[in-house]
Amino acid sequence: MGDVGIMVGRVLRATTANFSVGCRGLFTIADRLIPEFGGLVKALGRDGAVIYGLTYNVTIDDDAFVRQLVAAGLEDATYIEDQRQNRQVPVVADILTVGGQDAGQELSYRLPAQPPGPLDEIYACNAAEIVRFTLRNDWLRTVLAAKDTPSDQLITASLSAAAAARPLGQREAYLVAAGRELARQMALDLGRLDGILGQLYDDIEEKTRER
Amino acid sequence: MLELSKLTRQADTMGAAVARRRLDQHDLLQRAQADLGQHARVDDLLRQRIARACAEDASWRGADPLGDSLDERHLPEGPPQPATLIAADGSQIYPDRHAVAPYYLLNVGSILLRQDAAGAPVVRSQPALFYEESDLYDETGRLRDSEYVNGQRHRLEFETLAQHAEEERAALGGDVSRPIVALVDGPLLLWTAQRATDREISMEVRRFARQLARFRGARVVPMGYVDRPASANVLRTLELADISLEDVTRDKVRAGLYRRLTDRLLFSGLEAGQRSGLFASTSQMNGLLRDTGHRIIFFYLNASQRAGADHAAIVRVEVPEWIASEPALLDLAHQAVYADCRLTEYPYMLARAHELAVVSTADRAEFEMLVGQAMLRHGVPPVISTKAEMKRLTATRPRRHP
Repeated sequence: MGDVGIMVGRVLRATTANFSVGCRGLFTIADRLIPEFGGLVKALGRDGAVIYGLTYNVTIDDDAFVRQLVAAGLEDATYIEDQRQNRQVPVVADILTVGGQDAGQELSYRLPAQPPGPLDEIYACNAAEIVRFTLRNDWLRTVLAAKDTPSDQLITASLSAAAAARPLGQREAYLVAAGRELARQMALDLGRLDGILGQLYDDIEEKTRER
Repeated sequence: MLELSKLTRQADTMGAAVARRRLDQHDLLQRAQADLGQHARVDDLLRQRIARACAEDASWRGADPLGDSLDERHLPEGPPQPATLIAADGSQIYPDRHAVAPYYLLNVGSILLRQDAAGAPVVRSQPALFYEESDLYDETGRLRDSEYVNGQRHRLEFETLAQHAEEERAALGGDVSRPIVALVDGPLLLWTAQRATDREISMEVRRFARQLARFRGARVVPMGYVDRPASANVLRTLELADISLEDVTRDKVRAGLYRRLTDRLLFSGLEAGQRSGLFASTSQMNGLLRDTGHRIIFFYLNASQRAGADHAAIVRVEVPEWIASEPALLDLAHQAVYADCRLTEYPYMLARAHELAVVSTADRAEFEMLVGQAMLRHGVPPVISTKAEMKRLTATRPRRHP
């Protein structure tokens, strides 16, 4: 297997619809936040199958030891780095499954026949993979229907990332097409649609100002 | 299953008994502390009494004071200097004839922290697996017991600590100006199995002395840290202070006035960060170590950051006697460890070394599954005993609600 990208972590637990990934920490690698809310990731199965998912939640757990140290006024940089880098308390990223591709088959936006296995490696998708996965907008339906996830904000973050993965001249066209698809799928929930499009618009405005 | 409802009354009675004992102790403690103030002077007569007590009763464990007063108190002067702290701790899986196969496992966790350095400390965890017949059975063919495994674990912890200490000094290019303190949880004074023969004890003493010589060669302070110590060596010596030499008999030293107290209580008046004078335990083992040039001495330290006897956290710190000949180095080590206790009144280093070493029940279950799979690959079915299987099943039974 060639260059598969930046590793996010390994699968801790999984269902058909979502899975959780144990990560070594919060990192910035090659200007990318790992893990990142709305980021597209892929699980590489041992039989060559790939499962795609969107990061919808990142949890940093504590434990009794950390709580006591913080309460006692933890300020020493060496102790803080020990807690951050050496303690075995994983950062957990929850991933919503949005598609997959069996070995030698076409990309599919259906849920996979099997979830990723325990300790399977999870990688962040690169720009080319994000563009390829978002060529069609079928995945939006899965996100809109997902329970117990911040679906609206997840759509905003994912569309924003998908636009950023494209050349500058193609971004607006991509977002307009995605907006139309959302309008089609949410024709009976205009209030919610308005909220998502508003967030998306704000996000694009902010990124334009940053540039 | 523990039926708590049947223990409610006994727990209450026990609470009352503890409170009563605490009250009785308070009066006795006041008397002991007054005695300490009154008979603090260390003179030839006291030394003669100590020698006589040792001769009268070989099991007598007094304190041989190194200073001129039993009641010395010392607070290091000058600002603390950044030091390097190293700590090691061990954990184990004992041999179990009910397990899938006979083995035992030791795991040593260690941490190295440079107090003024940026970045995280260096942490390590090193397991060692023992499964050969020569590891598992003694000369009579009996499976090694927990006492044997504990001894092996102590030895491995100390060797690991000595190795890291030498490596750290070497990494400093041999520069001895930087203090390095190597911490172990518990006494530094060598411990041997009760049934050990003279020959075995002698071998163990030589082995221990070799490790201490490594620390000395690297100018590293090895330190045993005993939290909430139960020892009463200074009290034993204090009991001798007010009696004539002729009265120091076996019966008299065994019926000491302050049997119900501990040195921890005696020194509860130490100020935060202050230490007592230096003492050496009069145990026979310490006598053997003295002959190798590595007698172990101790002092009590108030590890608390808060003022007042109510907040005192009196701990016992043990170091080799050769450290006493370098008072400035002893002060730096004292300051470094006290600083490491700042957050929780217990060394952060020891808490982390323990965390790195500990083998949990879940770890053990996973490891035994790994062993079981390996056995299967080699055609041996992994089977635990019926008793172990029954214990496993009943341990996971849902709790019955009355």
